[in-house]
Amino acid sequence: MLSPAIVILAIISAILATTMIFAKNAVTSALCLLGVLIMSAGIYGLIGEHMVATIQLVVYAGAIMVLFIFSIMLLNLNKEETEYKQKPLVFFGVIGVGLLIGGVLFNGLFSHFKHHHDGRVLGPFSHETIQQLGGNSKVLSFALFSQYYISFEVISLALLTAIVGAVVLAKRKFD
Amino acid sequence: MELFDVAQLMAKIVFVVGLSLGVVPIMVWFERRGAAWMQRRVGPNRVGPFGLLQPLADVVKFIFKEDFTPGNANKFFYYMAPMVALIAPLCAMSVIPFGSTAIVNGHEITLQIATMDSGVIFILAFAGLEVYPIILAGWASKNKYAVLGSLRGASQIVSYEISMGLALLSMLIVYGTFNPHEMVSWQAAKYWGCVVNPFGALVFWISIFAETNRLPFDLPEGESELVAGYHLEYGAMKFALFFMAEYVAMIMASALIATLFFGGYGLLPGMSFLVNFISTNFGFGEVGMQNTKAAFEVLSLISKVAFFMFMFVWIRWTVPRFRFDQLMDLGWKILFPLSLINLVIVTLMVYVLNK
Repeated sequence: MLSPAIVILAIISAILATTMIFAKNAVTSALCLLGVLIMSAGIYGLIGEHMVATIQLVVYAGAIMVLFIFSIMLLNLNKEETEYKQKPLVFFGVIGVGLLIGGVLFNGLFSHFKHHHDGRVLGPFSHETIQQLGGNSKVLSFALFSQYYISFEVISLALLTAIVGAVVLAKRKFD
Repeated sequence: MELFDVAQLMAKIVFVVGLSLGVVPIMVWFERRGAAWMQRRVGPNRVGPFGLLQPLADVVKFIFKEDFTPGNANKFFYYMAPMVALIAPLCAMSVIPFGSTAIVNGHEITLQIATMDSGVIFILAFAGLEVYPIILAGWASKNKYAVLGSLRGASQIVSYEISMGLALLSMLIVYGTFNPHEMVSWQAAKYWGCVVNPFGALVFWISIFAETNRLPFDLPEGESELVAGYHLEYGAMKFALFFMAEYVAMIMASALIATLFFGGYGLLPGMSFLVNFISTNFGFGEVGMQNTKAAFEVLSLISKVAFFMFMFVWIRWTVPRFRFDQLMDLGWKILFPLSLINLVIVTLMVYVLNK
């Protein structure tokens, strides 16, 4: 069912994600995260969801990760990099807690799929209806600016509040 | 996928990539000779007729230079940066349509590598990725001048992407679609985008100069201040990759502005007459006529791109370089408000006219 290209991208992104966690250099970690995001955009593209893939590239790879890497470069983390030592107790503790949380999540997901696999209710948009309505981007834009436009505005207001809050906090510190 | 689909896809990829890389040596020659012509000098005229073989001599020089790597550079990212620089604009080329349809063996072929409904946003995504090679090159080569150049480059590209995006948004409102094919047919049916939205076209055009790091905005590599900026530590073919990437980005930007504002592959005035003339005189059928039309459409787009490439060279030798604070002022205090006001006006215009 899965095409080999998707499997290859998934394996690469798993390798990059592991490298991201274990790399000592902050820029390497950030670039590996960028790689994971680009690979997942590739997977979205391969399953035919070009809109999601493109948005993933624009928002995460084009904007957010640029900010990450830019600030990491400006902060000059070389000192932390040389002094950083991995403590085995903390390391295995973190892995244990991560496995526990992952196990609980996967258990919930799998039991959900086992019980509701046959009687699941699909949304109004199948691939065919989206093609009839004129493509993903059109359907998404109409839904965003008609049905959900109040929630859209509220979310942008929340972002604005976050920006203003950050400016206020930073200003108090420097004055 | 059938064999024919794979073959036509490969043919389109080879055509677009080969054309955009093959134009680079010609552009390098034209950049030098054009510069000399505009400054009333002679320019390089020793190698071959009119100095046309000069790019070949450059390539030979680049290949036989020592492939030097600075000792404390971060090797992996140091080698990755020039590759990313060339790959990102080439990927963005894949959604630019270079013709309507051609008919081969009874199959209809869309003259565009990747047909997707979010076409223009895809170009914007890969234009956004063009920041990474600059940041990577500056950071990985561990040189103060290179880091300064990459900081300048990154902040310049991020700042001008905003006004570029807003100018693009105003055009999206006019066309009501992301699909470049539909944009071209809208312009063929009504007016060119630059007539409908002249300020948008102007802002977009100015922003493109900053996005491609061309003069008057080539501060990331300002020779008199930063030696060579972010690619200071790169020599031989690695530098050549950066050099090619700059020209491929220029070609991509020219094709984008031609598609959005200047009719794209739509036939230039007089060309439809030529298509009719040729297909009636040589007795082409309907298929032959469509193929002749497609050929002329490719020619139309290429001539528009050539015009904008010429403008890149012309402006380079006309306008003096900006200071960095002037560049930021232009981006944030003039172009950003201008494109925002323009967006509001275009929205109102579309609302009133469509009512």
